[in-house]
Amino acid sequence: MALFAVLQTTFLLAFLPLRTYQSEVLSEPLPLTPESLSVSINSAKQCLHLQWTVHNLDYHQELKMVFEIQISRFKASDVIWTGNYSTTVTQNQVLHWSWESELPLECAIHFVRMRTMVDDARIPVPRFWSNWSSWEKADAQNSLGDHPLYVFPKDKLVEEGSDVTTCYISRNHQDNISCYLEDVLTFGKQLDQSVWAFKLKNISFLRKTGTNFYCQGQGVPEGVVLFVSKVLEEPKNFSCETRDLKTLTCTWDPGDDTGLIQLPSYTLFESFSRKKTLCKHRNRCDWQVTQDSQEMYNFTLVAENYFRKRSVCILFNLIHGVHPVAPYNLFPKNVSATNATMTWKVHSIGNNSALLCQLQLLGEGKVIQQHNISVRVNGEYLLSELEPDTEYMARVRCAYADHFWKWSELISQNFTTAEAAPSEAPDVWRDVMFVSGYPMVTLFWKPLSKVHTHGKILFYNVVVENLDEPSSLEVLSVPAPANSTKVTLNQSSYQIHVTAHNSVGPSPASTVAISGHPGNENVEEGRINGTEDGFPMSWKPQSRNATGYVVEWCDGPQNLPCVLQWKNLGPTTTGTVISSGAFRPGVRYNFRIYEISTKRMAHLLEKKTGYLEELAPSYNPQVVPNNLTSHSFTLSWKDYPTESQTGFIQGYYVYLKSKAGEKCHRGFEKTVLPDNSVCCKYTIDNPDQKTFVMKDLQPESVYEFFVTPYTSAGEGPMDDFRKVTTPDEYSHILIHIILPMIFCVLVIMIACYLKSQWLKDKCYPDIPDPYKSSVLSLIKSKENPHITIMNVNDCVPDAIEVVNKPEGSKIQFTGTRKSPTETKGTKPAYLDLLPTEKNYSGPGPCICFENFTYNQAASDLGYCGHFPVTSQAPHCQLGPLTSPENLLKTLEQNYMNSLGEIPAGEANLNYVSQLASPTSGDKESPPTNPPEPALCSEYKMQMAIPLGLASPPPSENSSLSSTTLLDPGEHYH
Amino acid sequence: MKVLAAGVVPLLLVLHWKQGAGNPLPITPVNATCATRHPCPSNLMNQIRNQLGQLNSSANSLFILYYTAQGEPFPNNLDKLCGPNVTDFPPFHANGTEKARLVELYRIIAYLGASLGNITRDQKVLNPYAHGLHGRLSATADVLRGLLSNVLCRLCSKHHVGHVDVTYGPDTSGKDVFQKKKLGCQLLGKYKQVIAVLAQAF
Repeated sequence: MALFAVLQTTFLLAFLPLRTYQSEVLSEPLPLTPESLSVSINSAKQCLHLQWTVHNLDYHQELKMVFEIQISRFKASDVIWTGNYSTTVTQNQVLHWSWESELPLECAIHFVRMRTMVDDARIPVPRFWSNWSSWEKADAQNSLGDHPLYVFPKDKLVEEGSDVTTCYISRNHQDNISCYLEDVLTFGKQLDQSVWAFKLKNISFLRKTGTNFYCQGQGVPEGVVLFVSKVLEEPKNFSCETRDLKTLTCTWDPGDDTGLIQLPSYTLFESFSRKKTLCKHRNRCDWQVTQDSQEMYNFTLVAENYFRKRSVCILFNLIHGVHPVAPYNLFPKNVSATNATMTWKVHSIGNNSALLCQLQLLGEGKVIQQHNISVRVNGEYLLSELEPDTEYMARVRCAYADHFWKWSELISQNFTTAEAAPSEAPDVWRDVMFVSGYPMVTLFWKPLSKVHTHGKILFYNVVVENLDEPSSLEVLSVPAPANSTKVTLNQSSYQIHVTAHNSVGPSPASTVAISGHPGNENVEEGRINGTEDGFPMSWKPQSRNATGYVVEWCDGPQNLPCVLQWKNLGPTTTGTVISSGAFRPGVRYNFRIYEISTKRMAHLLEKKTGYLEELAPSYNPQVVPNNLTSHSFTLSWKDYPTESQTGFIQGYYVYLKSKAGEKCHRGFEKTVLPDNSVCCKYTIDNPDQKTFVMKDLQPESVYEFFVTPYTSAGEGPMDDFRKVTTPDEYSHILIHIILPMIFCVLVIMIACYLKSQWLKDKCYPDIPDPYKSSVLSLIKSKENPHITIMNVNDCVPDAIEVVNKPEGSKIQFTGTRKSPTETKGTKPAYLDLLPTEKNYSGPGPCICFENFTYNQAASDLGYCGHFPVTSQAPHCQLGPLTSPENLLKTLEQNYMNSLGEIPAGEANLNYVSQLASPTSGDKESPPTNPPEPALCSEYKMQMAIPLGLASPPPSENSSLSSTTLLDPGEHYH
Repeated sequence: MKVLAAGVVPLLLVLHWKQGAGNPLPITPVNATCATRHPCPSNLMNQIRNQLGQLNSSANSLFILYYTAQGEPFPNNLDKLCGPNVTDFPPFHANGTEKARLVELYRIIAYLGASLGNITRDQKVLNPYAHGLHGRLSATADVLRGLLSNVLCRLCSKHHVGHVDVTYGPDTSGKDVFQKKKLGCQLLGKYKQVIAVLAQAF
């Protein structure tokens, strides 16, 4: 025991000094300096990673310390950053600290040093910094090659809107290098002789594949790609639900894509169970419900990318978020005409929890029935009050019955109810035409509406019942879809029953009655005006016992085949509005209103006609001008149909234009046409007046007219004016005179032609032929063979006998040719009047007689000449005559006939006997028995010679000779 | 298959390249064993010509498609960024014998095929939505593979050359994106240039 006490004391004595020493150490500043400082470079993150230890710490000693860190760039003296780092340090602990550089680390050498100070409360102040560690160098350029140009940072991730610093290192200091962000020149700051830095501010997202930043000098461009990310958005609409109480599905709207190939990650964390799961999709995540009946869940969704972390929370009750899976196997069962049973199944939820299912019945797209049914596994519901032969759609959706949150998806099924007999009689109307006194009835009926057919109409039955002969029934079956049929009846009264049949049976019958005789069709037609709603019309009932009224009309224009339409109206109705989609403006519609008697007989009550909207006439009448006089003409357009126009024709406008442009006639008014020309206008306010007389016109004037009808909507189109020229005032008189005159002349000419021979004989008889003369009979009666008719060829007519007179000789020159005897003064001399033939070269037998064309004055002079007879001379020469007096008479008669215009009484014919003997035949020899020329036988001046009688041959000489002969001035005495 | 072309094949080629980079080995001696897996078609040279013509006709459009997809500065700095200055590209002498030309053609096609695989792989990462470019690159690689097979068949069947040592271009997998783009552009520029010469030579 004593030993133990001694040992204890010794230990205390030994321990106390040690404890005292320790207390002294802690109370003094500890020489704790950072050691083993090393700097490494993380180029991708642009981080300098520092690692060091603190020596001289006791075992198990923990001290809170502060480290002051300095970072220099390029040179150790260029400190660019100083900062403190506080931490609790234990013995032999390796400390780490990182510093992110704004400038890519490859572009500059960095130096790092630090010092430390104990910052522990257990250490009394004052506290002292340790000495600085030595500068540690971080040189990323060592790893670079020998390329002339480097650009940094490589493939850096940048968040949109942030700033980023790029730099380049150029080995060639003389090179002038420009740097571009995409194609935009950027300006930087020179950090070193070979290093430039570029601060790109508020960088924007361009494309997912990155933004190029490049620098180029004289060599190959170098560059980097900056991957700009859009700012990660906070997930929106974060919610969770379960379909089967086994799996939770949380969904959210992730917002815009960050635009990086590296997608952000989404993590779902549940705080109660402290479980988390990495979501496979960016907008949805599944979570398995545990079996420990956890109802409440506190979810946190964390979205994270390189730059940001976003999170949203939701507190979720599992029961309140049940969204059942859609039901299945929905089918109709026991479908009749009006009922159907629908069956379906549901997916069980949890422990066979009940579902509330909603069954909807849709007809023509609208919900017509809706029923809620509680279902555990199988659902069933009887749908009633259905329409026969109707297609329906049944839809079912379900929700969690314990707590409604959301309907499941719908499933649907179509079905059609069975057919039934049509429920309504067809609407029947008739059109009766009497052919040869017998009614021909066309029955029309409207197809039953879908509501009433209750199936497909197969045919219509038409039963014709003769009321006068009840036993006779005629049944017609008209296959559908025909809507009319024709029935020919006799003059009895009939009832016609029409029923529609489908596969199940007939509809109720519709009955019309037909009288065998035409009713009263002489009903005055009234006019009605259409409105936007149709044609409003009213009528006055005629009978108190009317069972109804029918208005019938044709849907199309009058010129088209009638599509008969009708409208049934009740017995108390006295007015209606007829509307139809087929009604068009400008078309005349005729309505007939019938009253239906108790016997189903229709009586025409009223007729109406009208336009839905009147339009201006679409065309103008073809106007014919007639009865044209010098002061008036009549315009007529009787062929213009007023009934088929686009409105009620109220009258006509007659436009008149005259060239004179004088004031308008009475009744006309001046008007300005669309082409700004002025004309006169006359208004005919009677649509039935289709002629118009233009009066008080000027003769020989041009008038232009134009006729157009007008309706309440306006007048017809403006066509071209037609021209009419009024004739001369006296032209009709001339016509009245000249035409008869021409007629008379023609009659006379025809008469003359027909009596030409008679006229010839009367006016210009033929020259008598001596050989046919009656003289020949006298000659023959004398029976003197020596006496013959003188041959004309033997005469020499172109010779002038110069008669030697006692007063002196006279020489007459009547031609250019001279007779050899013309110079002889005492003998009779001959001058050629006409070119003579050879045989007349010499003086021939001379005949001297007085020319027939002598006028009275000339003959009074008493000249007489001898003419040699030519062959062309008329046959006036006669042979020797037994009695000159007889011959003279005969000749006198003949020549009187041939002279024509010369009156016989005025011609002084002095016949000179012809001396030449035609029988001698010797033309050269002088006449054997020359006659003694009488003193009075002198040549007389010729005044006018008819060409047919004494004209010389048409030679120049002969003409000259003739002229000479005619010219009294050329007479020589 | 595309994965094989884009990933595995380039990897194998890279491994192969490490062994013989920049230093083409001599061709197999004439007396070496030469066997083809399938019989060579009779109109082999025609097929080779047609394939070269097909590649030549599509090379320019592929080049344009590529540099357009890379964005600026590539379209406007084609001479600097996409110039055909590929230093280790196998040579070709158009005036050589058919055998020599075929051997050189084989080396070029092998080089191009490997490089195109790298480019395809890179572009699928860098331009994941440039499906048109991917399709054209893959189609070109397919034709190159067929051409390589035909050339080898011809060499083996006529010239009894069963093996030709080849070289490959630099692997781009460790390079930054800009370098990948640039190397791809340079390679396709070179491809466009050399394929025209080859199509003319055959």
